Amino acid sequence: MILDCLVTPFTANAFLLNALLAGILVSVACGIVGTFVVLRGLAFIGDALAHGVLPGVAIAMLLGLPGMLGAAAGALGMIFGIGFITRRSNLSPDTAIGLLFVGMLALGVAIVSRSHAFSGDLVRILFGEILGIRPSELALQLAATLVIAVLARVCYRPFLLLCFSPEQAEVSGFPPRRYHAIMLGMIALTVVVSFRTVGTLLVFGMLLAPAASAALFSRKITTMVLSASGIGAFSVYTGLLASYHFDIAAGAAITLAASLIFFILLTARQLLPAAGAAGRTK
Amino acid sequence: MTTRSRILAAALGLTVLLGCGRDRAPAAGGKKTIVATYSILAAAVQDLAGDAFTVRSAIPNGLDVHEWEPSARDIEALTHADLIVENGLGLEGGMGKALDQARQAGVGFFTAGDHITVRRVAAGEGIPSGDPDQAAGARDPHLWTDPLAVKAVVDALAVDLGRRFGVDLSARAADLDARLTALDAEIRARAAALPAGRRQLVTGHESLGYFAQRYGFKLVGAVIPGMTTEAEGSAANLESLKRLIRQTRVSVVFTELGTPPRTVEALARESGVRAVPLATHNLPPGGDYFAFERGLSATILDALK
Repeated sequence: MILDCLVTPFTANAFLLNALLAGILVSVACGIVGTFVVLRGLAFIGDALAHGVLPGVAIAMLLGLPGMLGAAAGALGMIFGIGFITRRSNLSPDTAIGLLFVGMLALGVAIVSRSHAFSGDLVRILFGEILGIRPSELALQLAATLVIAVLARVCYRPFLLLCFSPEQAEVSGFPPRRYHAIMLGMIALTVVVSFRTVGTLLVFGMLLAPAASAALFSRKITTMVLSASGIGAFSVYTGLLASYHFDIAAGAAITLAASLIFFILLTARQLLPAAGAAGRTK
Repeated sequence: MTTRSRILAAALGLTVLLGCGRDRAPAAGGKKTIVATYSILAAAVQDLAGDAFTVRSAIPNGLDVHEWEPSARDIEALTHADLIVENGLGLEGGMGKALDQARQAGVGFFTAGDHITVRRVAAGEGIPSGDPDQAAGARDPHLWTDPLAVKAVVDALAVDLGRRFGVDLSARAADLDARLTALDAEIRARAAALPAGRRQLVTGHESLGYFAQRYGFKLVGAVIPGMTTEAEGSAANLESLKRLIRQTRVSVVFTELGTPPRTVEALARESGVRAVPLATHNLPPGGDYFAFERGLSATILDALK
């Protein structure tokens, strides 16, 4: 009976199983990248990247190219644009990010709204189509997740220093600018390969919510990465179940689950002071 | 101002000026302008009005009728129209505000939905969903898939135009009536040749209710169970659809503009159904209402054969 509720939906429906697998892969990538996003305070640029890919996707679809290619171009454009504005003006990166964020989003909506090719697809770019995962996309998602994991392992020390003492990084022979760029590249890669699954709007939730939840009680970065990935995967599972049993839009259900878990953990930490004592990430 | 920025400013000004001259055709010869909200309705109105009026479609042919939102110029065109012909059954979701504005500006309205027997969603029809427009009793706006409903609309419009503008369109209306009746008979004969067990429809959204009702088809379900394309699919819905497809042995899913393509792909992989694109809300290139309805029925009947 319980099995019927919790497992059978996935064994009886290939589309749900594919959604779960893709979601778990997204969760692992987002758990790794999200940890650094949370620790280094890159939430805003993550958000901006997630939305900034929209015109890239729109143009790629107009030209009949794969949407992922357009997303990658959009993300690269964002990163270089932010760098360009901060270098050429006295404006803070925040302003540069904000400018490009709204500019790119508006450009994307403008293109979509006047194009005959894909009216109605805006919703699917923003919220993804997790119930329509192709088996071939799982392989791509797996490859991207592996690349992200390997990069994070190789750059573990510089990333750590970058998060907690950027001056120390410079001294230790890790140029902060280079590793900052690699970090941004990892965020971009996550957004680009995940937008098919959960969409550009919701991938940001998967990047932030599980990592923030993990930060509440993790002491070590490794713990944080592992628990963020685990929490993300659990959110995907419960979200899909909710979509199945309560007839809710799948992408939204997943992100909602991830956000709810954060608030539950936050409340639990307030109520259980013993757990709270451990709540400083180091 | 540096020279460079002067040149830039001049170039910008010129672009704006050139842009203004673009496609702003004045109402030719003082003819009255009728704006129909979407292309298929406009095509039917055009068939009736002939040269007596300038007929335009507010929503360009090829765009999603349920989702389209007007630009500033589109709103201007609406408020300057002599008559707006709308569907009126909740079809033009994104246009609500613009149509209200036109109404306030005193533009005359003709509402197609007022002149037909409105189809209401029957209890137990399709896939149950929380969508209020799919609840039993909800009004179905997709009246143009039934030629006889279109006939009722153009008949009423002929009378309305006569009263409003003093134009006698009775001869054209009678001619159009005859053609629509013939079209109905033609589709009816072809549909009757299809065994009843095959007259079952799975569509992108619930768009073929009037067609199904007229020609004895059963509505099995839709990828997005609702009257519009705007909703996002849930796992529950996709699973029910899969089960329904298995139970009813349906082999074809008709996909429309706005149908989530990958979700249909997943459904096709799992249930062995074939996805057939169907133009339900748009005219074929250069075609009129008759070309649309013939194309629609031919695609459906050929796929289900």
